[in-house]
Amino acid sequence: MSARVLVAMSGGVDSSVAAAILREDGYDVIGVAMRLAEPHPNASPVGNSSPRRGTCCSHDDFEDARRVAERMDFPFYVIDLRAEFGARVIDNFVAEYLGGRTPNPCVMCNREIKFDRLWSRARALEADFIATGHYARIERGADNLFHLMRAADESKDQSYFLFTLGQDELARTLFPLGNMTKDEVRKRARELGLANADKPDSQEICFVPGGDYARFVEQNSMPESIRPGRILDAAGNELAAHAGVHRFTVGQRRGLGIATGEPLYVREIRALAGDIVVAPRTELTSQGLIAERVSVTDPEAASRGAIPVEVKIRYRHPPIPANLNLESGGRALVRFARSGPAVTPGQACVFYRGEEVVGGGFIERAIEA
Amino acid sequence: MAIYLDHNAGAPLRPQAAAALSLFIADAGGNPASVHRAGQRARRMLEDARVRIAALVGASPRQIVFTSGGTESNNLAIFGAAMNASLRSKVVSSAIEHSSAREPLGDLERRGMEIVRLTPDSDGKIASSSVIEAIDSTTSLVTLGMANSEVGTLQDFEGIAERARSAGALFHVDAAQAAGRVPVDVDAIGCDLVTISGHKFGAPAGIGALYVRDAARIAPLMHGGPHERGLRAGTPNLAGAIAMGAAAKAAGDALAVEASRIGTLSGLLLSRLRAGIPGLGLNGPEFGRIPNTLNLTFPGVLGESLLIALDLEGVEVSMGSACAAGSVEPSHVLRAMGKSAAQARSSLRISLGWNTTAAEIDAAADIIARVWRRVAATEPVTSQHAAGAAP
Repeated sequence: MSARVLVAMSGGVDSSVAAAILREDGYDVIGVAMRLAEPHPNASPVGNSSPRRGTCCSHDDFEDARRVAERMDFPFYVIDLRAEFGARVIDNFVAEYLGGRTPNPCVMCNREIKFDRLWSRARALEADFIATGHYARIERGADNLFHLMRAADESKDQSYFLFTLGQDELARTLFPLGNMTKDEVRKRARELGLANADKPDSQEICFVPGGDYARFVEQNSMPESIRPGRILDAAGNELAAHAGVHRFTVGQRRGLGIATGEPLYVREIRALAGDIVVAPRTELTSQGLIAERVSVTDPEAASRGAIPVEVKIRYRHPPIPANLNLESGGRALVRFARSGPAVTPGQACVFYRGEEVVGGGFIERAIEA
Repeated sequence: MAIYLDHNAGAPLRPQAAAALSLFIADAGGNPASVHRAGQRARRMLEDARVRIAALVGASPRQIVFTSGGTESNNLAIFGAAMNASLRSKVVSSAIEHSSAREPLGDLERRGMEIVRLTPDSDGKIASSSVIEAIDSTTSLVTLGMANSEVGTLQDFEGIAERARSAGALFHVDAAQAAGRVPVDVDAIGCDLVTISGHKFGAPAGIGALYVRDAARIAPLMHGGPHERGLRAGTPNLAGAIAMGAAAKAAGDALAVEASRIGTLSGLLLSRLRAGIPGLGLNGPEFGRIPNTLNLTFPGVLGESLLIALDLEGVEVSMGSACAAGSVEPSHVLRAMGKSAAQARSSLRISLGWNTTAAEIDAAADIIARVWRRVAATEPVTSQHAAGAAP
């Protein structure tokens, strides 16, 4: 009997090709689309607290996935994970912004939903593996450990979002697109006759249509939890007032409402005081960071002292050479080899050694020199 | 070969209906409204079918209006009655009706009508005394399901028809799940309108009928030619009607035998599952259901997960009502019966039918108990899943 694999399908071309490839390779494929948020902002009848949650997981997306399943002849189901996604991803997203941090919901969704809740569903359905359309690779080394690696297509590499996967998860996960480029994936989709071969990539966070995070946060929180305050320069002079700390992220330039000769950027968010500190670009630097909720793919790594790594502090930032010191309580000290850009509390920081992801965590704060 | 236990969603085509469809294909071509002989042949086929459907519910053939199915029949009954008695502002119904009645009622409510939705007891039964009490001189319509589609509870309509008549209201019975499975007699009930759905008893989907005691008392929704005594314009679905006539005759002829056989099988399945699944709950009364329907709460699992796992093992059942996206919503019927959201999310509907065999029930009992054990062990329900984010 062939191994059974549960493939998470969004209706996009990547997860569709991932499922199709596994089917062609002889796996017993079960396709699932996850219903994570409400398709219509006002779909909830009276009694639900708020007109929550924007547009994703639409009927059309699920139909695209269903058509792929029909064409490739494997069973397909829509599963309802709205409760878990709401509690573990959306609530966290809102709380982080309200606390002056910049969350990364894709990392949380992978950790809490795809590789946790979906895995227990996979076990209930007697699946041996979970597969997704992520661009990343898993290799098994001579040490018998599983290694999470960057994708062959550097421009699409999504290993950053997957750093929370440990040995248990890596052992039962398949990334069929890890060695393919996006062009190859689209070509494969056309060869297989998949109707969504030329569907555009999704660009935004799936549950925030239009990308207006501030509005989403306001719609999904109590009015009294919004923290307005002052915009200050480095010397503490008030430059302007603002409507809430959730409207800002470190490095942001637009929307500050300040007219000065020199462009100013958000350097720090002091959520408790409600203060946003701005500075010219040259002052947006840091020497390293403290990470929390740190995990490593190799459980032995913790005993090795300072580890030379390259750290990515945002998905689209180039990696920075750094020294990683794992500390107790799931924390780590990351000291950049040379002065780096300002770090953004709440974002994931991911540790690479060459092609390999050795672990990662969430940025708690910058360190002073 | 899969074991199909979802007859309340739709029964497989009866062989008699398939044979009637082949006859239609061989002799296709006429419009029942045409004067020529092709039209006359088509008309005869249509009217023969009408006779058979009328016989299933003890009606006169001229009181049967063909529709596209149960949903259209409910819409025609509800809007047709309310629009025809536009000076009356109230409709009496219940909280456990099918969406094809619920949504029309919601629409009437948005247009300013008063909708009384009576709450059932914990078995899904509506007290007829509460219906009688709710009817007054402003009531245009009483609309109630005869057998609930999700839990199978049969209603007792004692005294409702008399009260409705004396108040000048119409009484509509949605018999989509009852007709062809238990005796339905329009005169014994004394009702004015009855919904009949073809594919619940082995006709193809896309054909249904509405019994209309007095055509003058409802307004049509479809306007056009004078078809169906002016109540439903448009050339009828002749192929569907012929097949529905054949299925109605087959179901009617076998009614007592089938009901007893299916009742025995569902009773056997229930006792086997109770033995294999500690804490299993039956939703609906022990007695007083249509014989084919079991709505069960499976402890410690999500119904959605069990449903998919069973499908992969070849046992086809259902949960609540499917939403547009293809996932499932917890049942409003179970909630109205006082079950918690968690119980509703752990419940599945198993519905047997005319072609269910003893061997299938024997196999299904083993598979369901085994798959429940596995799902309960691997994906136990937490309070977070069970409570749900949406109502």
